[in-house]
Amino acid sequence: MKAASRAVQSSENSGGISADAATARQVTKTYGGGETQVTALNAVDVDIERGRFTAIMGPSGSGKSTLMHCLAGLDTVTSGRIWIGETEITGLKDKQLTKLRRDKVGFIFQAFNLLPTLNALENITLPMDIAGRKADRAWLDQVVATVGLADRLKHRPTQLSGGQQQRVAVARALAARPDIIFGDEPTGNLDSRSGAEVLTFLRRSVDELGQTIVMVTHDPAAASYADRVLFLSDGVIVDDMNSPTADSVLQRIRLFDGKHNG
Amino acid sequence: MLLKTSLRSFFAHKGRLALSLIAIALSVGFVSGTLVFSNTATKTVDSLFSSTVSDVSVIQTPAKHGIGPSTGTPLTMPASMLQKVDTLPGVKTALGKISVNNAALINPKTNKVAGPFGGASAIIGAWGRDPRSPLKITSGRAPSGPDDMLVDADTAKKSGLHLGSPVRVINSLGTFDYTVSGIASFTTTNPGSAMAFLQRSTAEHDLLGATGVFTSIEVYGDGHVSNNRLKSEITPVIGRGYQAKTASEQEANSTKDTSSFLSFVKAVLLGFATIAVVVGGFLIINTFSMLVTQRTREIGLLRALGAGRRQVNRSVLIEALLLGVVGSTLGMFAGLGVAFLLAQLMTPAGIPMSSSLVFDRTVPIASYGVGIVITVLSAWLPARRASRISPMAALSEHGISSDKAANRKRIVIGLLVTILGAAALVEGAVKSSKPLVETGAVFLLVAFVVLGPLLATGIIGVLGRVLPALFGASGKLAQLNAVRNPRRTGATAAALTIGLCLVTGFSVESSSLVASTNSQVAKSLGADYLVTTGPTNGLTPAMLDATRNTPGIDHVTEEKYVLATITTGKVSQNFTLTAVSPSITRDFHAQVVAGSLQSVNEGAVTVDQTFAKNFNLKVGDEMTIDYGKGHVQKVPIGVITAKNNPFFDRQIYIGISTLAKALPATLIPPDNVFLCMAANGADKDKTYDALQHSLRAYPMATVQDHAGFNQMFRDNVNALLYIIYALLALAISVAVLGVINTLALSVVERTREIGLLRAVGLSRVQLRRMIRLESVTIAVFGALIGTCLGLAWGIAFQHANRKQGMGVLSVPVTTIAMVLVLSAVVGLVAALVPAFRAGRMNILRAIAAD
Repeated sequence: MKAASRAVQSSENSGGISADAATARQVTKTYGGGETQVTALNAVDVDIERGRFTAIMGPSGSGKSTLMHCLAGLDTVTSGRIWIGETEITGLKDKQLTKLRRDKVGFIFQAFNLLPTLNALENITLPMDIAGRKADRAWLDQVVATVGLADRLKHRPTQLSGGQQQRVAVARALAARPDIIFGDEPTGNLDSRSGAEVLTFLRRSVDELGQTIVMVTHDPAAASYADRVLFLSDGVIVDDMNSPTADSVLQRIRLFDGKHNG
Repeated sequence: MLLKTSLRSFFAHKGRLALSLIAIALSVGFVSGTLVFSNTATKTVDSLFSSTVSDVSVIQTPAKHGIGPSTGTPLTMPASMLQKVDTLPGVKTALGKISVNNAALINPKTNKVAGPFGGASAIIGAWGRDPRSPLKITSGRAPSGPDDMLVDADTAKKSGLHLGSPVRVINSLGTFDYTVSGIASFTTTNPGSAMAFLQRSTAEHDLLGATGVFTSIEVYGDGHVSNNRLKSEITPVIGRGYQAKTASEQEANSTKDTSSFLSFVKAVLLGFATIAVVVGGFLIINTFSMLVTQRTREIGLLRALGAGRRQVNRSVLIEALLLGVVGSTLGMFAGLGVAFLLAQLMTPAGIPMSSSLVFDRTVPIASYGVGIVITVLSAWLPARRASRISPMAALSEHGISSDKAANRKRIVIGLLVTILGAAALVEGAVKSSKPLVETGAVFLLVAFVVLGPLLATGIIGVLGRVLPALFGASGKLAQLNAVRNPRRTGATAAALTIGLCLVTGFSVESSSLVASTNSQVAKSLGADYLVTTGPTNGLTPAMLDATRNTPGIDHVTEEKYVLATITTGKVSQNFTLTAVSPSITRDFHAQVVAGSLQSVNEGAVTVDQTFAKNFNLKVGDEMTIDYGKGHVQKVPIGVITAKNNPFFDRQIYIGISTLAKALPATLIPPDNVFLCMAANGADKDKTYDALQHSLRAYPMATVQDHAGFNQMFRDNVNALLYIIYALLALAISVAVLGVINTLALSVVERTREIGLLRAVGLSRVQLRRMIRLESVTIAVFGALIGTCLGLAWGIAFQHANRKQGMGVLSVPVTTIAMVLVLSAVVGLVAALVPAFRAGRMNILRAIAAD
């Protein structure tokens, strides 16, 4: 509980919402109604700082994916408010939300990130094509080089390995220069070596390109690539850890598992 | 065990099978509708005649092919004959009857022909005792004075006649006015023509112009003697020149006309059923292919658990069987609706229909037969593909990849059939062989369906490039989706290909026919106006006078149709000759191969080039014309006209004066056509108006100028074309079902993709546009191929017929363009529901979907 209130405080200290890439205030999400009502998020406050790599962790059913979906504007909240940059997204119509996702947000899903009919390059530029914008060639080259796909651009997704497919997804998320990238267990389907590769690219895009990234994961090793880890349990943020290592995350999980069990 | 999975999956996918079900029901509906309708119609006609005819009817024997009721001249017998017949043993009663069909019945108030359906056909006779009369007087009284007329209730209602209304009869004897004294209703179904009755003495005078005669004697037996026995007793009494017909012989005669019309309607309906069956088959193939693809993993699991190939195959086929049974049942009952509607449509067309439909056991047999066979056959290929799914491939992420070997086989077969078809088409066009052209067209159609998937990849790959240019990302995605599963696109588009091929082909044919005829009419018709009337009415001498006396008319040429048997060399045939007055040489122009047209006025006959060639005739050869009843004459051939002349092809002209040498004046038929020419210097439009004015008192006459004549011809051709358009409409509506089906199943199949696209920023509008564009692409692709094929066929057909009166090629560009636009609209309409549903998908659930 202490951790959660500290998170709120830090955003207030930094002088307002605009300093953060994404902000949530008192966000509650419930499913169903009456006696079967399930609370996925319970009055959550979060600030995602710009230019940092934030991981969200928690056991299954803790609400970590729901939180990310709400922050990204993919899901609606029951109550509370959410901002991406300076735009409040709660209450936005589908049309504006779509535009926001297209222009300001990047996504990396656990699987099925790519359209099978498009080749790697076309998949990377898809959000810009949808927007009817020309890709910034120099930036695109840089992104492609960063994720190491230069020789695979004409390949169809079926001709790429799982790791390569996820790297294409990362490149797509980066290429449109979104304000924020959300990853929903982006390494969940990969072996540890490919997973490490993808996470390294995410880390580099934060360090070298100044990208803001939020990633949901259940893997302490993956979380160790982040600058900061938020821990969720039963729809509430229970801890907030800076500069995590795999060990410290693992310990934190055990600790809070223990608390839970005890 | 697998039966259980079949049943479960059948019910689990009932939504996805719904459109296939509609397609089956539609095809079966037409089959069962056709059967029910024709059974009902046949029974109605049979029972109508069997309840009203007499046991034996005596009439003057019509000359075999000569003068008779069919040319409008009533045949009579002396009243004294009645006495002889009435006293024969076994005869309960014999009645003399007067009934003619050569007079027009007119409502003078509206100056229009009166009849139950607006047609010109009227039966007018003498009212008398008739034990089996189909009419019962419901208001007023039977005709008892010289001004009285009884009319049937349907005619009265339709033409606005009431008790006391004036009513008029016009025939070759003159114009006669009466007052409606009574109205009688049919106790049976309406036989399809106006019926009117006068008192006997008036009927003799006004209808026959003679006293003491009948047109027939109707004999009713006492019930102890068979009709055949009665007939054999009557025959020697009436003597030569007259004949007796039993009830069943009369029926056979009467039903003949109706049957030929009914069999035409039946053929059209079966055409509809065939189209629906063929096009529906593609839809079913597609549905099952997609179901199998979507269930690849499920089938793989079954295979991994030990299900044999045959079991998998059978499970798909059982599902098809269930679909076939349900669809056929629906279709069979839908057919009753179709038959009912047709029955309603037939009544105004002059075919009476009873209100109770005849549903015998052929209906369910044919319905289930067609429905089940089509469904199971269509599901056969997908089922075979399902059985080939290996347990391994099925459990992997991606579905079955396209079979390269099958593709190669497709190309080889497709190209082979294309070459054969194209060769037949060209050969047929050059050698003027219609069957060859038609075979070629069918072969090409089959080839295009076989090659459809490859053409889809090629054509949409190239032409589809406009989509990204015009619609950006949505366009590009639509293009890619359209060629993603070429087999599916090909099969979906096939329905439209077939429909548009038919329509384009027939449009080119008919419009070329009209254009060619118009140009020949302009060349060959010297007369400015034509006056015509119904087939049995004839134009009367009074009308001839009125026409001749019209200001501005230079001359009038009379045409009379004469039935005869003609013999040239050793060949005899029945032929309708046209007898003409001398000015014919000014009213028709013809290129002449040999002889001179003038010879028709000098006792000779004309024949056309094809006729002369077929029977090996030259100018000067003799032709024997037998008008029947011993009236025979020999005439020389005076001229052979060049072919491709609409007025001389398949016609033989003879001078009326020549005819008069063989036939007594009383047997010369009335005029059927007047050809009129405007005098030099007369204003043609004013003369046309004047002519119409002169003939105003004769509403059964039709006056036409060149434009009107051409229009009438075009209307006749178009009437046939409308049937083709109706076929197209059916093919298109099944095609719409097919496109909806394909899109709906594709949307389900691509749920995750749609979720992803929405997540990365594709708006609902763009998503829906993507689906609509895919749909339009498929539709336009099918339409384009169909149009090209139809054009090739139509042009080949015209070329093949260039020497048979179709010398001018006319491509109805507007019609074809409209049909192409329509097919794009079809694509838009078909995408409505699938696009709407795709747009409403929840993004998160879509991404998580399996």
